[in-house]
Amino acid sequence: MLTDELKKGSAEFLILSLLDAEPRHGYDLQKLIESRSKGVLTFHVATLYPLLYRMEDRGWIAGRWVEKAGERRRRFYRLTAPGRAVLAAQRDSWREFVTAINRVSGVRYA
Amino acid sequence: MHDWRADVRARLSSAELHPQHEAGIVEEVAQHLEAQFAELAPKLGEAEARERLLAQLRDRAFDDAVIGRRQRARARHRTVWSSGSVLRDIRYGFRSLGRSPGVVAAGVAALALGISVTTVMFSVIYGLLIKGLPFAEPERIAMIYRADPTEQGQEDLIPFADFVRYRAEQRSFSAFGAYEQATVNVSGGDRPDRLSIARFTAGAFDVTGVRALIGRTLVPLDESPSAAPTAVIGYAMWRDRFGRDSSVINKSLRVNGEPYTIVGVMPEGFGFPRQQAMWLPLRLDTAGLRPGEGRPVTLVARLKAGVAYARANTELSTIAHRLAMEPGDSTAIRDYAQPFIRATMPARVYSLLYAMLGAVFMVLLVACANVANLLLDRAANRTREIGIRVALGASRLAVVRQSLVESGILALLAAIVGTGLAQGGIIAFNRAMIALEADRPFWLDVRLHVPVLLFVLAIAVVASIASGLLPAIHSARLDINSILKDESHAVSSLRVGRASRAIVVAEIALSSAMLLAAGFMTKSITRIRRVEPRFSFENVFTARVSLASADTVRQARFFEAVERDLAALTGIEGVYLGNDFPGTGWRGDRVAIEGQVYARPRDYPITRWLAVSPGFFRTFSVPVLRGRAITAADRAGTTPVALVNEAFVRRHLAKVDPIGKRILIGDPKKEKWLTIVGVIPTLYALGMVAGGGDRFPPEVITAYWQQGQTASASIALRGAASVANATSVRKVVAALDPDVPIYSVAAMDDVLYQPTWPLRLFGTMFVIFGIISLVLAAIGLYAVMAFSVSRRVREMGIRMALGASAGSVVRLICRQGAKQIVVGMALGLLVGAGLVRMVRILLFEVQPSDPSVFGIVASVLGAAAFVACIIPAVRATRVDPSVALRSD
Repeated sequence: MLTDELKKGSAEFLILSLLDAEPRHGYDLQKLIESRSKGVLTFHVATLYPLLYRMEDRGWIAGRWVEKAGERRRRFYRLTAPGRAVLAAQRDSWREFVTAINRVSGVRYA
Repeated sequence: MHDWRADVRARLSSAELHPQHEAGIVEEVAQHLEAQFAELAPKLGEAEARERLLAQLRDRAFDDAVIGRRQRARARHRTVWSSGSVLRDIRYGFRSLGRSPGVVAAGVAALALGISVTTVMFSVIYGLLIKGLPFAEPERIAMIYRADPTEQGQEDLIPFADFVRYRAEQRSFSAFGAYEQATVNVSGGDRPDRLSIARFTAGAFDVTGVRALIGRTLVPLDESPSAAPTAVIGYAMWRDRFGRDSSVINKSLRVNGEPYTIVGVMPEGFGFPRQQAMWLPLRLDTAGLRPGEGRPVTLVARLKAGVAYARANTELSTIAHRLAMEPGDSTAIRDYAQPFIRATMPARVYSLLYAMLGAVFMVLLVACANVANLLLDRAANRTREIGIRVALGASRLAVVRQSLVESGILALLAAIVGTGLAQGGIIAFNRAMIALEADRPFWLDVRLHVPVLLFVLAIAVVASIASGLLPAIHSARLDINSILKDESHAVSSLRVGRASRAIVVAEIALSSAMLLAAGFMTKSITRIRRVEPRFSFENVFTARVSLASADTVRQARFFEAVERDLAALTGIEGVYLGNDFPGTGWRGDRVAIEGQVYARPRDYPITRWLAVSPGFFRTFSVPVLRGRAITAADRAGTTPVALVNEAFVRRHLAKVDPIGKRILIGDPKKEKWLTIVGVIPTLYALGMVAGGGDRFPPEVITAYWQQGQTASASIALRGAASVANATSVRKVVAALDPDVPIYSVAAMDDVLYQPTWPLRLFGTMFVIFGIISLVLAAIGLYAVMAFSVSRRVREMGIRMALGASAGSVVRLICRQGAKQIVVGMALGLLVGAGLVRMVRILLFEVQPSDPSVFGIVASVLGAAAFVACIIPAVRATRVDPSVALRSD
């Protein structure tokens, strides 16, 4: 399990990455993070929504209620232009960080 | 199925989120939990899954979400004041007010009345006291007075020699002048006139900064005693006497018989210092005058730019100190400069006018209270509408704003109507002021000046806030849930009831204060006509004649001829000449009674006296009770005689026969002893002005023809108006001397009542204010009672269904009203007593503590309030219980 600090720092990055492809709702995001990290990263309502709302307040993502025929309306989040810029910057710095860690620790890519 | 929404809502309840945001979070999070539950339940079992999710929901991290949303909710509030939303509110306000024209009409009418009286009063104050002289930079024009070192508060004129010193030494003023006011005979033309004039030094014109319309103003050269006499005439004189002839310069004019050359004409509206028609040079020889000597004059000056009054006064003190150290003057002098209008208008005028402004603000507040009540009533009827707006996401601020916009619309409409009404009031006021003529300050200019209109706008804003805030706050405090659930509006109407009852208490307090002042004014005004002067003044015409000549022999011969020729006119029943008229004209002086010893001057008693011709008794129908009247035989050279009145006998000669006793009026070294030859009844002896003083004091009448000085005479004629009029007197006087004017032409009736004009004018205004506020308060009380009864129809129905009698229902409702009336009235009478004290200079023959006025005001207000209560109360008893119980 990852520590809380590490999770917090990476969580925003993860959500931005997931929304890069397409708009998603909160439950979808939780499931995706869980499945793609194979259960290493988990979120629940009390940790996910504060994060989403904060990111929305910063203007990185935008939530919108979307109604589809025959379905209940759901709140979908999409990446905004500022969000996209943040994501790009974070990807760069994350890459640098991982490279640096690898060089120092000698851990190789799997 | 488990209701996750309820769990989420409960989790959020303490956060007090904006309803819209709360709803959003609840929906989103509950969906999430539901989906997760559906996934977990088959694996863990329902109970275990639910437990786990609830634990997650309880996680403190969730509070972050709430905080984030709250900040957003607040940030969005700022957009509430965007111009688009305000415009929308205004449109909505117009639409929603348009649906209740009754409320609009009543609200606008009440506020318009309040605004109009306030505007009239303010425009009077602005025109008289604030606007200043119609000259450049009027605030720098100062009047300099001498504070009397012996009598506190007394203000004296300044001796001419001191003026000359000040003028030479001062550095604070850019112009420095002196003047004295006088009345003179002006002749040379079709008819002679008696005019108010001023003698000016050249500097006095410089102080005003006004240039002559034609020709020039006075220059220092005119002041020289050897220069040819010059005159500057006013616009009215140029128009009336010279027909606006532009070649009037260098024409001659006779002033008190002396020729003066006209050198200038002043522009229209110039009457400095008060209402002067002409200006002559002040020619005083200063040679040989020492400090403190010379004729007393009034000093005016214009402050230099950037010099404050305080600095100028310091300089005046320094100069005064030097004056005091020189021989010839030993007392400490304190002279001080004040803004001209401030110095020239008596403090009691300020006190009266500002008290009246305070009074009209009370009327305005009563009107605001009425509108507040109307709007509260509306708000109560609209609780459901407001509840729905809030539920749909209207913020409380938006609700408050909507309410304020509505009261603002009312106030704005009222300001427009009120300004129109005020214009009417101003016209009426100016018409009343025309009667004042010579007394009216020339700068008085009561109109809807721009600052007055700004004032109207300001009070409209104040009024809209004052009347809209309470309903607004009330609407904002509503609890949406209970409104939407509650069918009967019981909660909201209860709260409205409390607020409007408080308003009614304030309303009754204000209007009883106003009504008290109005009551005192009414009593004073009715007292005027009730005065029984004990002499007859109907069909008596009066005028005054003054001779410019100082020759006493010529004076006596002239006035004897006037008396003889007037008496010869057919239809004249009595001719009177005297030094003044009974009623207002009695002089006061000390009197010595033969045989009494008076150690100090202040031991002498004071008596009122009047010098009369033999026609006095016939003209004013005054009987002689004992002894004889003054006759034609009592002339110069015979034993000086006097008659005393009954009050005099009672006070001074109670135990002896007054006939034959001798008295002396005035200075024993100068005056002669008078032998009492008769007794008259006690006549009314004061002008009809406010203030104390014995109105039926000891009086002495002396023989007009036995006194030495007769430069002027007050003339009265008894007879039909076709003979006893100005034309007859003018013809008689003109035949004797065409240069002598007759003036102060009036019916005796007017002479007697003229001094009462402030009371008649301002008193009547007070009465109008009082009636307006009474009507407003009664309507306000009625509205509140009717409203509270209508809200309690169901309760009344239950009471009556359970057997309450009609009487007990009426009592119940009236008791509720009575409490407000009593509290309001007690407060109001206290405030009113203070108000009356401030305007006591208007009171005539009424004490400010007169209990009868308090009693009448309390009962009038009580009666009006009772009617306002009883109508809805009786209506409540007509409620059919079965209908009431069904009503919503």
